[in-house]
Amino acid sequence: MRKKTFPVIAASFGIALAACGSSSTSSSSSGSSGTSASNLPAAPAQITVGTTYSGSGSFATSSLPELAGLKFWIKTENAKGGVYVGGYKKRIPLKLIAYNDLSSATTAATLYNQLLTQDKVNIFVSDFGSVLTAPAVSLAQAHKVVLFDQTGTGIPFFTPQNKYIVLTDLPESSIWPNVLAKFLISKQIKNLAVLYGTNDFDASQATTLKSILSQNGINVAYYQGVPSSTTSYGTLLQTISASKPDAVLEFGYAANDTPFLQNVQSSGMHFKMVFTVFPGQLLSLFQQQVGTAGLAYTYTYGTNFYVNYPTVSEGLNSSQFKTQFAAAFPGQLNSLSLDGYNTGLVIQASLKNAKSLSQTDIRAGAAAASGHLNTLNGNFVINSEGAQTGELLPVAQLFPSSSGITLKAVYPASQATGSAVYPAPVG
Amino acid sequence: MLFEYAVIGGILLGIFYALLAVGLNVVYGAQKIINLAHGDIIMLGGYGAWELYNTYHISPILSTIIVIPITVLFGYLLNRLIAPRLVKASDPEMLSLILFFGLSEVIQALASLVFGSAERSLPVSSIPTSRLVLFGQGYPATWWVSALVIIPLLAIFVIFLYRTSIGLQVRAVISDSVEAAVAGINSKRVSGIYFGIGFALAACAGVWGVFIFGGVSPTEGAAITITAFAIIVFGSLGNTLGTIAAGIIFGIFYQLAQVYIPSWSNLVPYALVIATMLIRPQGLFGRRQRIA
Repeated sequence: MRKKTFPVIAASFGIALAACGSSSTSSSSSGSSGTSASNLPAAPAQITVGTTYSGSGSFATSSLPELAGLKFWIKTENAKGGVYVGGYKKRIPLKLIAYNDLSSATTAATLYNQLLTQDKVNIFVSDFGSVLTAPAVSLAQAHKVVLFDQTGTGIPFFTPQNKYIVLTDLPESSIWPNVLAKFLISKQIKNLAVLYGTNDFDASQATTLKSILSQNGINVAYYQGVPSSTTSYGTLLQTISASKPDAVLEFGYAANDTPFLQNVQSSGMHFKMVFTVFPGQLLSLFQQQVGTAGLAYTYTYGTNFYVNYPTVSEGLNSSQFKTQFAAAFPGQLNSLSLDGYNTGLVIQASLKNAKSLSQTDIRAGAAAASGHLNTLNGNFVINSEGAQTGELLPVAQLFPSSSGITLKAVYPASQATGSAVYPAPVG
Repeated sequence: MLFEYAVIGGILLGIFYALLAVGLNVVYGAQKIINLAHGDIIMLGGYGAWELYNTYHISPILSTIIVIPITVLFGYLLNRLIAPRLVKASDPEMLSLILFFGLSEVIQALASLVFGSAERSLPVSSIPTSRLVLFGQGYPATWWVSALVIIPLLAIFVIFLYRTSIGLQVRAVISDSVEAAVAGINSKRVSGIYFGIGFALAACAGVWGVFIFGGVSPTEGAAITITAFAIIVFGSLGNTLGTIAAGIIFGIFYQLAQVYIPSWSNLVPYALVIATMLIRPQGLFGRRQRIA
C-alpha cells in the first residue's frame, strides 16, 4: 500500500498530473461499451483496486476499519490466487492502491483523479461516507469508471444520468429513516426535534424523515441543520428542549454524535427518546468516549454487524468473518470493517458476472448480482441508479448491562432482539 | 429565555475561548511571531489530560496544573533554540511562520504515531456532573466547571503580568527589548519564560478542549489556531486583557448564532476577523498607532 506523506505536495502534483493527463484515456475506462467473447483482450496480470482512506482527521475512526475490511478481502482472495473474473474464467491477483486523504474532501478529489488518470485502476472504490464520496461520484461519471461506493449514501449521488455508481454496503440515505419513521409512528410520538449536519448523508435522512412524519400527522417542532463541524450542542439542546419534544433525533457523523451525547449528559436534560446515527456502527468507541450513562436507553441504527447471517452465497459468513478478521486485524473489528469486506464481496460478485474488465461489463455484473447476492451484510439489491435498496437497518436501543452497553434491535418485530423502553427511564 | 441562556452560556464558554486565545497572544508578545503550532500545543494538552485520566485516573482539574511546568519548560527550551536564529534571520517573520508551520506538522505526525488517528474523549463523569442552574435555566457541567478552573488561572496570569517584578520585566521586554536590556533585564531569559507561559496556557486550554470540542484528535490544531487567531485579532494583537474580553465576546456571539442562525454559526470566527479588519483594524481594545 502506498501512502502520501506530504499531502500538500501530493495535492499539487495531483493537480499538475491531472492537467497533463486530461487528454489521456484510462485503461480502466477502455471498452465502455460491452465486450464480446470473441474480441476479449488478454487478461491483465493483476487487477488494481484504487481507493482513498482517512489516516487522520474526523473520518479516520470510520475510514480505517473500512479500509482494513477491504484489505482483508484482497488478502483472502489473493490467498486463493486472485479474484475470479467470469469473462476470463480464471482468477487474477488483486493489487490495492490506497492514498491518504486526511479526511479532506479536497485532497480526496485530487487523489481520486490520480487513481483514475495516472494509476488507471480497474476497480475504483470511494472512501467512507458521503462527504468523501461526493468528489468521486462526478469524477467516476466523467471518466466512465464504475464507482464502488462503500458508504456514501447521499441521495444526490444516484440519478438516472449516472450509470457509473454502485452502492455496496448501506441503503441510500433516503431509505435509512424509513424503519425509524415507522417506529416513531408505532410509539405514537406526536412532537419531535430533528437536528442534522448540513451534508448529503445527514440532510438526506432528515429530509426523508420529516416528509414521512409530516404525511402521518407528526409535528416536527424543531428542524435545524448545523455545520458538519459542530461540536458544541449546549445552546442547541436548550433550544430543542424549549420545543418540548417527545423524541430528539440527531443525524450526524461520529465526530458530531459523541459531543452531542456528552452534551445531553452534562446538561442534565432528559428526553423520552434520543437517537443518534453512529453508536450502532462504532459501539465500542462510543462506549469508551461517552460511557454507559451517556448511552443508556438511547437509540441508533442497528447494523448487520449485530445480525447473524450463517448462510451466504459469497465470502465468509458472519461468525467466520468475525473470527478471521479479528485475528488478521486486531482491534479493528466493527460494523465498518464488515462494510469494507462486504464491498470486496460485491466487487467479487460483479467480476464473477462480468464478461470482461470493461467498466460497462463490470457495472452489468453488479446489476446481475443484485437480488441474488447474499452476504454477511444481508441481501444486496440495487436499483437502476445503483442505489442500494436492500440491507435495511433496524432501529436499535442501547441497554446498560454487566459488560457496559448492549445493543438490541427493537424494530421491526421481524428483526427485533429486544423490546424498546420508551420513554427512557430517568437517571 | 433563549437569549439569556445564550448570553450566560456564551460567557461561560467564552472564558474557555479566552484561555484558548491568550496563549497565542502571549507568544506573540514574547517574540512578535504568530505561533502556527498553537492549536497543536492545545491538542497536546488534550492528549495529556486523556493520558493522565486513563492511565493514572487523574482528574482533568488536576491535569490542568500538571501540564503547566512541563509545557513551560518545553516552551522555554524551544524559545532558546529558535530565538537566536530568528534574530539573525533577514526575514524573521517569514522564517517564524515557516518554522512554526513545520513544528505544527511534526507535532501532528508524532501525535498520530503515539496516540493513533482516532479521536479520544474523556467521559463527562471525570469531572463534577451537576449542572449549574442560573435564573431557572441549567447549564452543562463542562461549561461551568471549565469556567471555574480557568477564571483563577487567568487571574493568576494577569496578576503575574501586572503585579510581579518578573511581570514588569516581561512588559518591559514586550514594549522594547533593546531598552529593557539596557536597563539590565535579561531579555532572552524573560522572553523564554514568557514564551513558555504561552505554551502552558495553551496546554491548559487543551485539557478543557477535550470537553468543549467533544474530544481530541491529532488534526484539530489548525482549526483551533484559526479560532484563536480570530479572537486575538478581534481583541487586539498583544493586548492580554483585550484577548480575554474578546474570548468572552466570541463565546456570546457563537452561542447567539447557534440560537438564531445555527446553520451559519461556524462562520463566527471568520466574520469576526473580517469585521475587525474592516471596521477597527487595530482591534477592539487596540490604540491607533502614533506615527513620529
